[in-house]
Amino acid sequence: MVKKNKNLSSSSKYKKNLVKAFWFFLFPSMILYLMFFLIPLVLNLFISLTNFDGWKQMDFVGLANYKKVLGDAEFYASLKRTVIYTAINLPFKIAIPLLLATLLTSKKVRFKTFSRTAIYIPVLLSPLVAGVTINWLFSQEYGLINFLLLKVGIAPLAWASSRWLATFVISTAGNWITAGFYMLIYIGAINNISESIYEAAEIDGANNLQRFFHIQVPLLAPTTFLVSLLSTINLLKEFALVEGITQGGPGSSTTFIVKYIFNNGFNQFKYGYGAAISTIVMILFGIIAYIQFRISKGGETG
Amino acid sequence: MKDKNKTTSYTLTLISIISALFILFPIIWLVFSSVKPSSELFGYPLTLIAEDITFDHYVKVINNGFLTYIFNSLFLAVVGTAITLSISAMAGYALATYRNDVKKTNLIFGIFLLGTLIPAETMVISQFTVISFLGLYNNIWGVILPVVTTTTGIFMYRQFYLTTPLAFIESARIDGASEFHIFRKIMLPLSKATTITLTLFSFMWRWNDYILPLVVLARQDKFTIQIAIRNYIGFTGVDWSSILAAAVISIIPITILFMFLQKHIVGSDISSGDKG
Repeated sequence: MVKKNKNLSSSSKYKKNLVKAFWFFLFPSMILYLMFFLIPLVLNLFISLTNFDGWKQMDFVGLANYKKVLGDAEFYASLKRTVIYTAINLPFKIAIPLLLATLLTSKKVRFKTFSRTAIYIPVLLSPLVAGVTINWLFSQEYGLINFLLLKVGIAPLAWASSRWLATFVISTAGNWITAGFYMLIYIGAINNISESIYEAAEIDGANNLQRFFHIQVPLLAPTTFLVSLLSTINLLKEFALVEGITQGGPGSSTTFIVKYIFNNGFNQFKYGYGAAISTIVMILFGIIAYIQFRISKGGETG
Repeated sequence: MKDKNKTTSYTLTLISIISALFILFPIIWLVFSSVKPSSELFGYPLTLIAEDITFDHYVKVINNGFLTYIFNSLFLAVVGTAITLSISAMAGYALATYRNDVKKTNLIFGIFLLGTLIPAETMVISQFTVISFLGLYNNIWGVILPVVTTTTGIFMYRQFYLTTPLAFIESARIDGASEFHIFRKIMLPLSKATTITLTLFSFMWRWNDYILPLVVLARQDKFTIQIAIRNYIGFTGVDWSSILAAAVISIIPITILFMFLQKHIVGSDISSGDKG
């Protein structure tokens, strides 16, 4: 009897010890996450209800900032631009990596490691440097692209001073630095598709195109969902890449939403107003992610 | 039939290599441009390889204090990565190993997942306010501490330790090893592959960090390499000759690290893939 009791108490002590160890291991991550993510999240809501200028002034103004944001034409214009930019780019963010991955998992292709490595290298670049690198190619006066256009008898284009040409250059840079990353995700998924499925299709006489569209694409649906979710979030928050190319210009025609928040906060010191935009943008991003989640679920079952 | 197979193989290989070189080309062009003298840089006709190769732009950039920026960036990347690796391994280990001993580990993990759904870029104003409040404005720690907790890192270690048999730990406990000793000496070495992948990712993220250093680091002697590059893009125009050299310098460290670790990242299926 006595012995049993002793065991019991040492077992609960043992259990306590494990719980203690758990919190010990989790503590550093938790404290940093709390300080620099969860508190700012709540603080953002608080700042958005004030006229904080980042310095001394901080009066409670209620929902005034939100009212102002909802009547701000520049806000709607930036948001619309961001959404259009995201919608145009999303198909390419999926199609290019998928095609590259299909090619670079084919048994018929050789030197795959070389090609995969080469395609992955731009992923290492910072968005800013990637923007600069692509912008150099499209530079109006001394860029390679305009030089080549001239060679074939086409007048050089003013890439930086037209809204759509500038958006094209930004999109090129954006796809350039993400293609290798999403390609690797697809390669991993394609390698997980069982060989026997392809063999069965071959016996049934399916050709390569049929195999691609009727077997590979449907089986990769979960991966495509992941890639499209990641791409959407990354496109919606595009910032540093644009800084390397147009800095939001010409005018404000490539000023996307994060840049707009940034300008309000750090160029005009309207912290409260910027924070209100942040809150609205977070909610919108959340809704977009949720819609994507629903659509992809429908796609999988249907 | 065999001949036809060979032709398809050649064609597909050719297409893949051309695509790869096409994607690599902007970097090649950047590197070759950076060693052109200004006369060739800003004048037609353009050639890939300079007639007079010069390192003048590099010298100019280095003389402008670039070594300081490189040092600051290295400090951010190395220290940041070291912290990320240790705290992510610990947190991922805790969430996986004690899942039967502690209630609500999934809820705690869920709170961490929130970090991936809400981009930090949208919270830059309130994050900056917290950093200033802590007195970390214009301090390199002000750009390290806010970003070292990454859900991706915690997730990677958690996934790894979920597949590691708990029996390993049980037997070590019976031998009387402390919980920290088990983690440090037995379990952490097992996750070498995860550590390598996260090292590359984290180093890359920190080396390339932009928005937070831009708002937090005010004085020039605190700048990271990215902020220095941004400063070559002036209001009136881009200082191309400097920015090209600076961009190349910024690519070198991360590429070297990638070359060391690349077989773990891109070549995971070389043995199965390249035989056919």
